Amino acid sequence: MNKIKIISYILLVASLLGIICGFFTSEYVTLALAIICIPLFILSFGLLNMAKPTKDEMEERVQEPFTGY
Amino acid sequence: MMNLMANIIINVLIAFIFGSLLLGLHRKVMARVQLRPGPPIIQYFIHSLKFFFKETSFPDTASLPFYVAIVVIFCGVWVTGVIVGPVLESSLLIIFGIYAVHKIVEHNAGSSSGSPYGKLSCVRAVFSAAAELPLFAVLALIFLKTGTLNISALISYQAVHGPLILSMPLAAIMFFTLIISKSPYNPFCITKAKDLITGFETEHFGFLRGFLMFTDSVAWYMLLWVFLVCFFGPIGILGLIIGMIVISIITGFISATTPMLNPNHSVMTQISIAIICTVGSIIILLI
Repeated sequence: MNKIKIISYILLVASLLGIICGFFTSEYVTLALAIICIPLFILSFGLLNMAKPTKDEMEERVQEPFTGY
Repeated sequence: MMNLMANIIINVLIAFIFGSLLLGLHRKVMARVQLRPGPPIIQYFIHSLKFFFKETSFPDTASLPFYVAIVVIFCGVWVTGVIVGPVLESSLLIIFGIYAVHKIVEHNAGSSSGSPYGKLSCVRAVFSAAAELPLFAVLALIFLKTGTLNISALISYQAVHGPLILSMPLAAIMFFTLIISKSPYNPFCITKAKDLITGFETEHFGFLRGFLMFTDSVAWYMLLWVFLVCFFGPIGILGLIIGMIVISIITGFISATTPMLNPNHSVMTQISIAIICTVGSIIILLI
């Protein structure tokens, strides 16, 4: 399991816990949790679900010549 | 009474689903006006979800932590918008602050990718920030007329005195200009003009693009919600739905039939409309 995947799982669990905690906290804490945890939950969901290239494809992508801007 | 967190989550989901359908409708109207069949209305919604499962490339030239974080901040900004708007019906000044941060996000999303298209979009975001002045003028005029900037107080005011669009039509035109400037492919859209591909979003691929599209949908829904609530008052859910659909159709028609202006013309046109409408509104208020 690579580093991004581990971080994503930690973020997913932490943000989900934050959202669940938000159901039982005072108003201002709930607002702060919603503003922070909802975007982080979507981010970690995206990082975990995005398709990954196979090993061969990965090499192709890296070795592709940089055409520059 | 519903739990606050549940209320926020439900409102964010409604804003995303309905906002993305409205953007799909906008695109469909544009296509039909230009005699093309266009994609189905639901396509924008499906695209937003689909990108979450696509391969994501991260450009070598990107400032990676910033490049990813800015997308999260963009979402956080509009979750705040939903909280201030439909959830709490709080102050319009915070909505103005959210638009200011929205501009900063456009600026930073463009600069973080390292792409020349993004960088040019980033410069134009600073330039077009002047076009946010009409929103500030609208807020000032609303305050002068009603004595409040609280959304729930504004709704109550309009329930007694009638919709503000009747007493402040020029302010409504000014706000509508802002709506046009935020719709896709509009004549004032210099940060995402076609000469910059998709501007600050050009180098955000895969799920990051889906994430940006999610937030764009929420932002579009919120903009229409604020306009309808500020100028039409207590119109109910059905009124809001019809109003949002009508505005999306009108902006779609405008986007389809008008060319994109160059940056200086875009900003000057918006500021000119703002000055004329502000002066006109003050004269109407004094009379």
